[in-house]
Amino acid sequence: MDAILLAVYILLFPGFLFLLAYAFFFQFLDRKISARMQNRVGPPFLQPFADFVKMLGKEVIDVKGMDRKAFDAAPILALAAVMTAFLYVPIVGNSPLAFQGDLILVLYLLTLPTIVLFLLGWLSRNVFATIGGVRAVTQMFIYEVPFFLALLTPALMAGSWSITDIVAWQQSHLWLAVLQPIGFVVALIGLQAKLERTPFDIPEAETEIVAGPWTELTGRRLALMHLTLDVSMVVGSALVAALFLGGPLVPWTITPDWLSWIVGFALFFVKTLGVLLVLASIKVATGRIRIDQLNDVGWKYLATAAIVQVMIVLLMNYWWVSA
Amino acid sequence: MSELLKLEQVARAMEGIGTPEAVKANRIRVPTTPAKVKEAVRRALTDLACDHVVQIAAVDNGKAFELIYHLTGPHRTVVAIAIELPRDKPEVATASDLLPPAGIYERQIHDLLGIVFVGHPDLKRIILNEDWPANEFPMRKDWKPNPNTFYGGVRKEAT
Amino acid sequence: MAEVVVPIGPHHPALKEPVNFKVVADGETIVRLELDVSYNHRGIEKAAEQRDFVRVVPLLERVCGICSHSHTTVFVKGIEEAMKLQLPPRAQYIRTIVAELERMHSHFLWLGVAAHEIGFNTLFMWTWRDREAVQDMLEEMTGNRVNYGINEVGGVRRDLTTDQIQAALKRLPHLEDRIAKYVDMVNHEQTMMIRFRGVGKLSRVDALKLGAVGPTARASGVDYDIRKDDPYIAYADVPWKVVTDTHGDVYGRTLVRIGELQESLQIVRHCLENLPAGPIKVTSPRAAPKGEVLSRYEAPRGELVHFIRTNNTDKVERLDIRTPTLANWTSVAVSLVHQNLADIPVVVAAIDPCLSCTSRITIVNERGRKTGELTWDELSAHGRAFYRNGRRA
Repeated sequence: MDAILLAVYILLFPGFLFLLAYAFFFQFLDRKISARMQNRVGPPFLQPFADFVKMLGKEVIDVKGMDRKAFDAAPILALAAVMTAFLYVPIVGNSPLAFQGDLILVLYLLTLPTIVLFLLGWLSRNVFATIGGVRAVTQMFIYEVPFFLALLTPALMAGSWSITDIVAWQQSHLWLAVLQPIGFVVALIGLQAKLERTPFDIPEAETEIVAGPWTELTGRRLALMHLTLDVSMVVGSALVAALFLGGPLVPWTITPDWLSWIVGFALFFVKTLGVLLVLASIKVATGRIRIDQLNDVGWKYLATAAIVQVMIVLLMNYWWVSA
Repeated sequence: MSELLKLEQVARAMEGIGTPEAVKANRIRVPTTPAKVKEAVRRALTDLACDHVVQIAAVDNGKAFELIYHLTGPHRTVVAIAIELPRDKPEVATASDLLPPAGIYERQIHDLLGIVFVGHPDLKRIILNEDWPANEFPMRKDWKPNPNTFYGGVRKEAT
Repeated sequence: MAEVVVPIGPHHPALKEPVNFKVVADGETIVRLELDVSYNHRGIEKAAEQRDFVRVVPLLERVCGICSHSHTTVFVKGIEEAMKLQLPPRAQYIRTIVAELERMHSHFLWLGVAAHEIGFNTLFMWTWRDREAVQDMLEEMTGNRVNYGINEVGGVRRDLTTDQIQAALKRLPHLEDRIAKYVDMVNHEQTMMIRFRGVGKLSRVDALKLGAVGPTARASGVDYDIRKDDPYIAYADVPWKVVTDTHGDVYGRTLVRIGELQESLQIVRHCLENLPAGPIKVTSPRAAPKGEVLSRYEAPRGELVHFIRTNNTDKVERLDIRTPTLANWTSVAVSLVHQNLADIPVVVAAIDPCLSCTSRITIVNERGRKTGELTWDELSAHGRAFYRNGRRA
């Protein structure tokens, strides 16, 4: 692709600028849906953006004796990781940066925010933050295995490690959500756990350990970390939509190129919003579970389901190849 | 709900400890001495089937301190065991081994009136703030705050 | 992980009021709890000794926002017992209606708070929305959502008009439906069940031994309820049952409180429909004869006791208050050992702690100086402001 077009793709649309705008929009919708389900009014449209701008201007408080450079760098690292991950997910047509194995890259980048949270908890020199950081990483060990497995089964079925190829594969076959329903459900639950939303918001359990690893984040650090969480939600939804719901590609070809792009983009919109609706409903309808109970649920049910799904996919592959 | 206790039952149980009087249909008061109060509580728990301590009321009546242990049970009658302690040496044996909630109640009474409960495992501050000066017992009738003493909270210089 | 001391309080999002719980934890398991309740200390018992009965009533109302009616009722009924007054039945019924409405709003509040403690904010929003219906009723009848000011020695200060009664009766069926839904939810909602069942278990023997009162004790099968054991105001005339449960854990306490919500609704309906006609107060003498009264009341949190000694004057010689929360603390400390850190908020919330009630004792503010008040707490600021106003009165 042309250098200028590539720059536009990365920086403006559907790159960073679009990503930021979409992240704010996602946060607004999430809060509005949750509020309406709880019989409340919910925030106005520009609320997330206003919150972000306000927090950027607030005072940054440093804990005595902490490593300021590391504390400053950590949220930026997390944000950079998830924003980069977004570039590999097809939004409008194919991603120009696609390569074999970009699925693994995206999954790896998506784990960085949790590691950063643990780091922040450790650096904060605060007992609540440390406990929260430990919980975040413990939670990661529990849900990451089923989540990874569930997201790798589409790769197994499509026979490629590139998200773009998997999306293309779905164009000529059925959506993978239909072919791998168990994997789809496990992926959604894993996504909710990755985003640390109820019932998996243990690391941030406000009523028990103040705000967990977020306790000592203030001002622009808090703004950036919050934005990281929003962007992860967008990337996660886009990933699930791409891998299971066919991404931005239409199941039939539309002749004017630009029209197919617009339709594809609209589809991407609709599919990611659908994922958001499911995630918001889960958040509203449940209470928080304890870390040991998560351990139970994660290993007994999620991991088993994911492994079962992998075996099914292997069997199906063998069947088709031999057929 | 079982029957209310009768005066004769209480008199029999409190033989040698004190003479009960029925203040109300469901409250019987037994005055006794500090030396015998623990035995009275024990008898109320075993012979009179009391299983719940309602309150340990502490009063400064100007001349002496009074402690009244109110106990009740399935019979729904309140047995009130009352003692008087001299002002200059207000000491009495703790009841917290017989009545676990007394642990907290006695700490509170100690904070406010200065009554010492001998044998209490941990008679430290509970209701007054930690920087309240020692040996000032606010609920005593003769206590007045001293303008030169710091009673805790924010110091004037700090504001 | 080695033993870590996790301070829960005095400032902590889990606590509505400040208390200092020092929790010594080994990883996620609790080893030991230490307690300090001095943060809401406001000097009410000593202040009560210097005010005549008329002025003590508003003072006692401010012991606690949620159980304000409890404190005033138990006090005035104690004084009335000392004065040997006979109250007109209409006054007793009105007191009962307000008392049961207070119980309802307190239990709805508790349900929301318990749900919030386990991160289930949806239930929190819903129960507090329903609580608004109760608050509306109270506001129409008494003029205020908390601190109703309806009691005085000798009767009640306001009467109920037929319009108010009809408006209140109209709200009750909707509340009944909502309460039935919450019963359903508690029995079927998965996260509530795993966070509540088996947590904070208190056996019947322990409940009695450790002095637990109220729904905390009744959830362990102890059927002490002052409204039945030592009936006062109109409870003897109204048909109702004591709600108990045998689970003994937070789940049991939830069931007891929801059951009490249903019973309270029936009591309110019965009293509103059968309100006797007549005067709402009798003139009371200025001074109370010498005597000693133990006045007991079933507050929403449990047994509330005022020990009052009178001495032929218009002031009490001694007012000794024992609140239900103080009675329940020992059971909390014992039942939390060997539980998880994560269960602290739920178990503490399950006894429905009202720290304002618990920490009310003496500080006299002679010349407007700050003596022993706790300036790092909003409630104590309120108490101080009250103090200054009270002294002007």
